[in-house]
Amino acid sequence: MEKFVFYGGKGGVGKTTVSSAYALTCARAGLRTLLVSTDPAHSTSDVFDQSFDDDPRRVEGDENLWVMEIDPEEEVDDHMQEIRRRMSDQVSAGIVNEIDRQIELAHRTPGAHEAALFDRFIEVMRDSDEYDRVVFDTSPTGGTLRLLSLPEFLGDWIDRLVQKRTKSIDLFEKAAIGEREARRKLESDPIVQHLKRRKEKFEFARETLRNDAAFFLVMNPDELSIRETDRAVESLREYGLEVDGLVVNGVTPDPDEDDRGRGGRYLRERVATERERIDHIREAFDQPVVAVIESRVEEVKGDLLADVAAELDVEVEREPPRA
Amino acid sequence: MTLADRIGAFREVVEEWLHGFYHGMVEHPAFELIEKEAEDTDDAFMFGCFADAFGIPSPVSYYTVELLPYLADDFEAWERRMWDRGSLLERKGEQYHVH
Repeated sequence: MEKFVFYGGKGGVGKTTVSSAYALTCARAGLRTLLVSTDPAHSTSDVFDQSFDDDPRRVEGDENLWVMEIDPEEEVDDHMQEIRRRMSDQVSAGIVNEIDRQIELAHRTPGAHEAALFDRFIEVMRDSDEYDRVVFDTSPTGGTLRLLSLPEFLGDWIDRLVQKRTKSIDLFEKAAIGEREARRKLESDPIVQHLKRRKEKFEFARETLRNDAAFFLVMNPDELSIRETDRAVESLREYGLEVDGLVVNGVTPDPDEDDRGRGGRYLRERVATERERIDHIREAFDQPVVAVIESRVEEVKGDLLADVAAELDVEVEREPPRA
Repeated sequence: MTLADRIGAFREVVEEWLHGFYHGMVEHPAFELIEKEAEDTDDAFMFGCFADAFGIPSPVSYYTVELLPYLADDFEAWERRMWDRGSLLERKGEQYHVH
């Protein structure tokens, strides 16, 4: 199994439960495991009955398991503050005020959350030497997919920006005929340097996602979830990422044999329909179904989590990194 | 003053004149034109970075806004230029003005 494992899927399908269960399995198998939650609702705190924050914190009672909760909103704000601080260090207050609108705007665009999360993911992946396994419980929006497609997309964009900037600098240098000092010089241009550093980060992310990450999609046995998952598999493939397996969660449990009441009939019918759908999932998708998890009446936490973990047929051992 | 001196002085004058002539005919309009093109390319660069300043959603502006501390003065001038259609047309038209 790869070092970085992502669990994605629509909101409400139980990603947090599945990724927590998987992280727990890894930890109990002796791997130093970090679970990274990006769900703004932060249900990992509920699952483990303990509060977490932006720094990895060890789960009480499980010495190999750490959890961190990333708040995209907070990341975006930090980024904005940082830029404002650097602005006031470098340019006059008048200009800062003029430009403040743009800074606000850039941090209110729909993609800002994803971009902030993405930056944080890169940081986590880069500083993950002390862990054997890092499990990402990714946010329940379509943003997850976009997030993973960012390196590809942004790499090209930055290339183009660097090209444009290089060209204008080159022209400025050419315009400086004879004694005239060029208005800009390539080797000392902070913009090109900054863009290149960005690009390196994206390249690191792309390589890591391609070579050292596994992706699992969590779904429920209903039509909508199946279609959604189908689309997600396709989009990921477009971005050059293969889904490694599917987890069907929230499957209705069988009623007792002798239950002939209304509840029993309802459940029996439901189980039959879901069974058909699960068969369909097994046939229609190229990816293996690695787990079929029954829904529980109680919230999944504590001992129940270990039960769920037992139902997960996802490898724990780490393969040697692919060449 | 010897003949050689006189010839030397004359050559100096001619060289200065020639250089001035060349500068006026070729160098000056050339560097102005090249510099203008450089500025245009810069405008395009700015637009690529901050298209959202004009209501075009840009997925990269979150990252490019990091460049603002270095670009602050340019940005302010660029935004003013772009919002002001009159000055933009004038600015672009100027480029084709024959020197």
